Amino acid sequence: MDRYTCEQAFRDMDAYLDRELEIAETRLVLGHLGECAGCAESFRVEAKVLFAIRSRLRRVRVPPTFVRRVRARLRRAR
Amino acid sequence: MSTVDSALDIDRQPFESLFTPLLSSAYGAALRLVRTRPDAEDLVQEAALQAFRAYHTFQPGTNFKAWFFRILANCFISRYRRNRKERDDLALDDIEDLYLYRRTVEAGIHGSDTSPVQTLLGKLDEEQIGEAMARLPGDYRAVATLYFIEDFSYEQIAGVVGCPIGTVRSRLHRARKMLQRALWQVAVDQGLVSRLTAPEAS
Repeated sequence: MDRYTCEQAFRDMDAYLDRELEIAETRLVLGHLGECAGCAESFRVEAKVLFAIRSRLRRVRVPPTFVRRVRARLRRAR
Repeated sequence: MSTVDSALDIDRQPFESLFTPLLSSAYGAALRLVRTRPDAEDLVQEAALQAFRAYHTFQPGTNFKAWFFRILANCFISRYRRNRKERDDLALDDIEDLYLYRRTVEAGIHGSDTSPVQTLLGKLDEEQIGEAMARLPGDYRAVATLYFIEDFSYEQIAGVVGCPIGTVRSRLHRARKMLQRALWQVAVDQGLVSRLTAPEAS
């Protein structure tokens, strides 16, 4: 196979960060990141951005009476 | 009820025992799909009623959460399409890779120990990131919500929104880019970028 390029690494970045690549594809990405400092830095930046977004979006305060209200509505629907 | 239905119901748990543990998670996802807390509650209520009425179609032993989130996503998409007046703030043109990284470096954002992009992200709270998420077009917001909030795999998202995995992959790719651009816009709009590039900022 031809050399795995930076362009291919960028194409696979999302799937790699999402753990959606096959083992062989993951090895190609890891091999490239071991050799290419530029791509390795880009992957690190993207991973940090994703982590920050995900952790903030998951911080949700559920109103204390919400569960009670939904259950009451379901009971009325019976 | 037929004998067959009765037999199937032997394995069927009460709806509430499966549904109640999902409520907080459903509310969190709904809040990222719609813009306000009353709308989020309303969306979950609507999905809950639909799920309750359709519970006889749920196959015991399969993934109840995926089944319920499919209903929730469908409720959201129907509302979204009904209310087209809701503005999509973001154009669907191409957005460069590493958008947030490039903008923060170009703007000269500086922090004490961290990179420019981390400095910016450290200052953005969940409300601001939620607002950026709300600026995504509905189809993209649905995929991004299932990905960011619920950690669904591409395959699970495809099952929930009813499209091929390849479509999920491409929507998610664009949603991530659009979200980075929206985050930057929120940071600019709210004066955060100005504050972080001011000479005394650190």
